[in-house]
Amino acid sequence: MTTEPVIRTENLTHLYGEGLASEVAAIHNINIEIMQGELLAIIGHTGSGKSTLIQHFNGLLKPSTGRVFVDGRDIWESKQATRESRFKVGLCFQYPEYQLFEETVYKDIAFGPKNMGLDENEIDIRVRRAAAFVGISDDMLERSPFDISGGEKRRVAIAGVMAMEPKVLILDEPTAGLDPRGRDMVLDLIRNYRSQTGNTVLLVSHSMEDVAKLATKVLVMNNSQVAMYGSVEKVYSRGAELYEMGLNVPQITRIFMGLRSKGVDVKEGIFTVEQGRNEIERLLKSRGVLQ
Amino acid sequence: MIRDITIGQYFFGKSFIHQMDARMKIVISLFFIILIFLCKNFFSLGLVAAFTVFILSVSQIPLRLILKSLRPIVIIVIFTAFLNLFYTKGGRTLYEFWFFEITVKGVYSAIFMAVRIICLVAGTSLLTYTTTPTALTSAIESLLSPLKLVHVDVHTFAMMMTLALRFIPTLIEEIDRIISAQKARGADLESGGLVKRAKALIPIFIPLFVSAFRRAYELAYAMECRCYNGGKGRTSMKKMHMTFRDAVALAVVVILTSGIFLLNFKFKTVI
Repeated sequence: MTTEPVIRTENLTHLYGEGLASEVAAIHNINIEIMQGELLAIIGHTGSGKSTLIQHFNGLLKPSTGRVFVDGRDIWESKQATRESRFKVGLCFQYPEYQLFEETVYKDIAFGPKNMGLDENEIDIRVRRAAAFVGISDDMLERSPFDISGGEKRRVAIAGVMAMEPKVLILDEPTAGLDPRGRDMVLDLIRNYRSQTGNTVLLVSHSMEDVAKLATKVLVMNNSQVAMYGSVEKVYSRGAELYEMGLNVPQITRIFMGLRSKGVDVKEGIFTVEQGRNEIERLLKSRGVLQ
Repeated sequence: MIRDITIGQYFFGKSFIHQMDARMKIVISLFFIILIFLCKNFFSLGLVAAFTVFILSVSQIPLRLILKSLRPIVIIVIFTAFLNLFYTKGGRTLYEFWFFEITVKGVYSAIFMAVRIICLVAGTSLLTYTTTPTALTSAIESLLSPLKLVHVDVHTFAMMMTLALRFIPTLIEEIDRIISAQKARGADLESGGLVKRAKALIPIFIPLFVSAFRRAYELAYAMECRCYNGGKGRTSMKKMHMTFRDAVALAVVVILTSGIFLLNFKFKTVI
């Protein structure tokens, strides 16, 4: 393992309407390092700069000032470097099912790998691998992407990005608008993808519960800047500050924060129901209520 | 890039022009187009140009927006000016090389064409900038209502126009989003020959059409849910009224028209 981060930004700033009276900084002076293999959750309320930030990682947006490094290489150093970053960092937008266009699911998933200039054989392997990952069966590959259900479309679109086998996979609100089962399926496939490939995953999310379950690190954006960046425990222990930024900690965390403020001796940094149960059990045992 | 297109957008404001009756604005806009092409010399052309600047400043639409809306037509203006420069013959020859010949008349017509197109676009785009889509529909419906006598469905026609205008910005946003998504999958829109570039548009246009149809269905359902069933017996809550403002505007246009005729008559015709 190298110590070089997969993605590093240096004083990254992006202005909209540059040079005009209405100039606003969508993101301002961002300095972050993202390590190989991490599952980083990016949270922040609407308009905090999350989407602008992630579009810099694959060179869709050009920084107004500052630099972005992927694998230690400045992605704006040459045209070729920019194009390479497209494939190293796979970005899957919000509601990605609206980008489907091919005649068959297979062809749509193959669009990315084809653009990479891979040969037929390699494309076939990648398409089938990505489809298997997201649970798309072989006979569905030959169907039209417009004839399948909403949840399936979403998974096909995600497979389209996965098939490029990027070192970093970015998903912008992958569960938005899905029913609970669809949501669990997508979250599961993200978890499996990361554990099986060891690739880095960036997840933009509004759901603090989902983040708590999946992420290894959390980046909080507020007012175009990085407000917090650290482990889930660290970030979630600052519940009051998050609340001021228009964000919310998971319900279970709020309950435990309430208990603490009432003087009950419970640990900080409880953010899943599982942890909560263990902590209550420990407490009850220590008081002799439970054996 | 594609977001620069501002045709058909409405910008909120409270200026004199914003508050005028939409019917008057449509009539004046159409009349203005005729006036632009009635100019026969630089004096009357100058008057039209001055009038354009005048109404733009009265409308209080930021100059930045107006310049932005003119940007897409720059190529058309230059192209037309060039064609006129070389193809209009007459008067003294100013310059000659190979088989090209630039004459005085060519220069004049190039200038006239450029000024006319700019005035035309800047002046007429004010109509949608300062009029809400609803006001625009009512106005079109009201102006075309005589056609009801010959059984033309004026209301449906007006509604279609408004909806088309309403969806221009939405579809522009949609295109932007789709382009970004396909670029993220490595789509290359900027290189290659004509055929390759045309092919590269397929991944953009198919999702666009699909989403346009989806929006159309959703819109139709939403309209039906609110009991929309065409124009029959439909009344409007806000009746349009001509006010003193419209009288003032009409007077200004009458003065402008007589000014143009006077200048055309008084000075030598150059075109």
